[in-house]
Amino acid sequence: MDKAAAPGALPRQRPAPAEQDRKRRPKREREGAAWVFLSPWVLGAVVLTLLPMAVSLYLSFTDYDLFDPPSWVGLRNYTQMFTEDPRLLRSVLNTLLYVVIAVPLQLALALAVALALKSMKRGKAFYRSAFYASSLLGASMSIALVWRALFNDGGTVDNVLGSLGLHTGGWINKPGWALLSVALLTVWQFGAPMVIFLAGLQQIPKELYEAAAVDGAGRWRQFVSITLPMLSPVLFFNLVLQTIQAFQVFTPAFAVSGGRGGPADSTLFYTLYLYDRGFTASHMGYASAMAWVLLIAIGIVTAVLFRTSRSWVFYANEEGR
Amino acid sequence: MTATRSRIALHAGCLLVLLVMLYPLGWLVATSFKPADEVLASLALLPSRLATENYTTAAAGIQGVSLLKLFGNSLTISVGAVLGNVLSCSLAAYAFARLRFKLRGPLFAFMIATIMLPHHAVLIPQYIVFNQLGMVNTFWPMVLPKFLATDAFFVFLIVQFMRGLPRELEEAAKIDGCGPFRTFARVVLPLTRPALITTAIFTFIWTWNDFFTQLIYLFEPGKYTLTLALRTFVDTSSQSAYGPMFAMSVFALLPIVLFFLAFQRFLVEGMANSGVKG
Amino acid sequence: MTMRRIRTAATAVLVLCLALAGCGGGGASTAAGGKVTLRFTWWGNADRAARTEQAVAAFEKAHPDIDIQTSYSTYESYKQKLATQAAGGDVPDLIQLDYRQISQYAGSDVLLDLKTQRGTLPTKEMDPGLLKTGQVDGVQYALPMGVGTQAMAYDKAAWRKAGLAAPKPGWTWDDWVSAVRKLKAAGYERPMTDPGQMEDWFEVWLRGQGKRLYGEDGQAAFTAADLTRFWTFTSRLRKAGLVSSAEDTTQMAGGAVEDSPMGRKRAVAEFNWDAPSAGYEAMYGDRLALAPMPAGPDGTPGQYYKPSMLLGIAADSAHPREAARFIDFLLNSDKAADILGVDRGTPVNSHQRTRVLPTVTGFQQQVAGLQESLQGKLKDPPAAPPRGDNGLQSTFGRDYDQVSFEQASPREVAEDFLTEARTELRP
Repeated sequence: MDKAAAPGALPRQRPAPAEQDRKRRPKREREGAAWVFLSPWVLGAVVLTLLPMAVSLYLSFTDYDLFDPPSWVGLRNYTQMFTEDPRLLRSVLNTLLYVVIAVPLQLALALAVALALKSMKRGKAFYRSAFYASSLLGASMSIALVWRALFNDGGTVDNVLGSLGLHTGGWINKPGWALLSVALLTVWQFGAPMVIFLAGLQQIPKELYEAAAVDGAGRWRQFVSITLPMLSPVLFFNLVLQTIQAFQVFTPAFAVSGGRGGPADSTLFYTLYLYDRGFTASHMGYASAMAWVLLIAIGIVTAVLFRTSRSWVFYANEEGR
Repeated sequence: MTATRSRIALHAGCLLVLLVMLYPLGWLVATSFKPADEVLASLALLPSRLATENYTTAAAGIQGVSLLKLFGNSLTISVGAVLGNVLSCSLAAYAFARLRFKLRGPLFAFMIATIMLPHHAVLIPQYIVFNQLGMVNTFWPMVLPKFLATDAFFVFLIVQFMRGLPRELEEAAKIDGCGPFRTFARVVLPLTRPALITTAIFTFIWTWNDFFTQLIYLFEPGKYTLTLALRTFVDTSSQSAYGPMFAMSVFALLPIVLFFLAFQRFLVEGMANSGVKG
Repeated sequence: MTMRRIRTAATAVLVLCLALAGCGGGGASTAAGGKVTLRFTWWGNADRAARTEQAVAAFEKAHPDIDIQTSYSTYESYKQKLATQAAGGDVPDLIQLDYRQISQYAGSDVLLDLKTQRGTLPTKEMDPGLLKTGQVDGVQYALPMGVGTQAMAYDKAAWRKAGLAAPKPGWTWDDWVSAVRKLKAAGYERPMTDPGQMEDWFEVWLRGQGKRLYGEDGQAAFTAADLTRFWTFTSRLRKAGLVSSAEDTTQMAGGAVEDSPMGRKRAVAEFNWDAPSAGYEAMYGDRLALAPMPAGPDGTPGQYYKPSMLLGIAADSAHPREAARFIDFLLNSDKAADILGVDRGTPVNSHQRTRVLPTVTGFQQQVAGLQESLQGKLKDPPAAPPRGDNGLQSTFGRDYDQVSFEQASPREVAEDFLTEARTELRP
């Protein structure tokens, strides 16, 4: 999983000998094989993705309350979003703040644990399972309740910090702190990126380190000049997907704040507000418009990530870039 | 000597971090043993007495549906989803990673874009589709999409992995006269095992914990899953039973722990043995 | 593609989808072996599930040709599920609805006009005022399944310690404030939960002054000045340490008793609906008592009998007569009344009401006692809240956070709320 970024963004490769050989076969046959492999995906993409997406795009230009037939309103939902909805702006800022806090922290923790486990000779399997344990439950209702208990006034976090002289009076109940506690819930469930990091680390050839050790490179040098570059494709994968997921953060905030995104809208994330508009306030047209704006925003961020990746993601095999 | 010391330091550090990480889970388990008046009100970790009544209630299931049945439903859906994802995502990924066809670039971009649209926006159109197919109140809406590779996350994951495989093996297979299907089945698939196992583990856990899809599509309690059942203990409009909900959460946690423990060793063994060199 | 062509294409796709949705549905209610299957969906907890199942079994025994398939989830989940089903053209035959959902579901032709089933479903023993709560524009779309009312739950021990007598119907908001002051003097810090975060309590306060939340036209019938006064009133209490802090109040967002200040034992009194107050029993045992809501300055009661939930039939149900027969059984028969008790609120059928109320035990006696003490004293319930009220209800709580965390003044927030109300309410 660690070689190229997007095949779509890939340059034409030097034709290998076998590829030249393949070229002699009729083109149609090769295309046909590809479509056979793709057929389940195409069917799913058309019926379960493209069609619903088209409907939601259409709905975004309508006033639709889920019950009566939608009525066309043109761009009104979009203009309303940008001009008359202060709560939406708040949700955008919350989401950005959340992405900036949660993604780097989670990736750093996942990478740190993966690195520690990699250099371990004994007990690796035990630690790996134990560190994954927090991710097994998902952002379920029970974990949300535990989180509330831990980060509430008089909860464990408050007590521990209090004994260090840092009395906070709870996090979950304060507008300035609640977002951080929700972000920590995401950071805490770092199992998926950790497992992917581990897989990537496992693929770095040992010979590289041996050679570097012979050259007298210390741990830090090895990390900077071997581990990081060799791991950069995996890091990139994790970064892209965690960023996309963080922009869509819903469940942790929904569960922890009882669905409202409080206190005082401080954990009102974009998708939480989208859900509120669509299902609680029955403005499915408006919610669909919000969804498409989010899609475009994430698309831009992802495109920027792909663009910058050229300068820092290192592909060992010249197949990639 | 220093090596030993640094190893001890490493273990001590890991254990310390681990302790912090596991504390909330410990809290969850401890809470499941708290008597009703302490479940949420008490901020102490340990219950004042070991109350097992939460487990008795949870073990009785909901509305005449036994715990075993709930387990069975969750398991059917999750295993179905795993099979579907592993099969269909690897097929699609192979096409994207290795085969040439028209529109490959735009289709790949489209696939990535599908990860970006919040699913609440497509919930209702999807519901209409499944209702038309007569699949509401069956397990199909949870399982069928997986067989159609709609989880773009995993397609992307496997694509990234396959692109890292050396082409020489495939080309050798081609020279031996293998068509794309045999190459895929004999050469590529075995080498992709770590990514497939990652896919299997994540799919299992995420499907097991998924709430919204199951809520929307399952009607009869006889088809409810553990995730749905444990939510029915908490109704804010009437009386809630948080204790049994925690107990059922612990029950629900067991299979995924077992699943993870059973498969996680393949994860890294697979990585190590796949013979893939950078 | 031009804009027009995109529009045409999109419309085509949607029309296709909706047409498919329209001609589908009802698949589950087809007869199997001469047997009629009805889908019945509702929200509630495990206890309600057990009682409902028992009642359904009794009905099926009496009507072997009808099979009732039930489904339940919790209230929040239920709302989303039902809305999705309605949008997808797949509404179950029998649906339980909240007072706040009636206008939406009736106005969009999801519900059957029950007049068509009058023969099967007699309503003569139901209180006309309550029957009205299931009507929209004079058409009976649903029947109330039970009766509830607003209440103040409190800890009797604290009340005694402060030297206070049990509140009687007609006690005023001023009496309430002085009671709270006495509780504070007796050593209870912030003894009462801040009522400013729920539209329900604002409504009681408004009605006590002879005003109301919504007018006949389906628009807000109060002014920004009214809401400003209410929030200024609660803010003054909060600043005086008489009601819960903003940090504790905001945690009630999910609506669970357990997350409220009284549920967390940080307050000794709290407004709630009568039946859901049973949730405090786990923490307070027999110290828990219910009192009527405070009334207006001249003793005008603000609280009212509300249908705790209503039951309607889907407009496109294939078997409306069988569905009506089931509703008749649930609401009017002795058997069902004995099984269901007061779980969905006290019975609406007056005959069943007099039969069931004396038999209740434990906390239910408090509910019955409260309702009896208010008998004949309350005004008619308001008409069902207009469409759009659902979203406003959550906005109310959100907005109050701005007030209680002192991010904006009551006036500013009240004006914002009314602006939103004007755009949200769709009569």
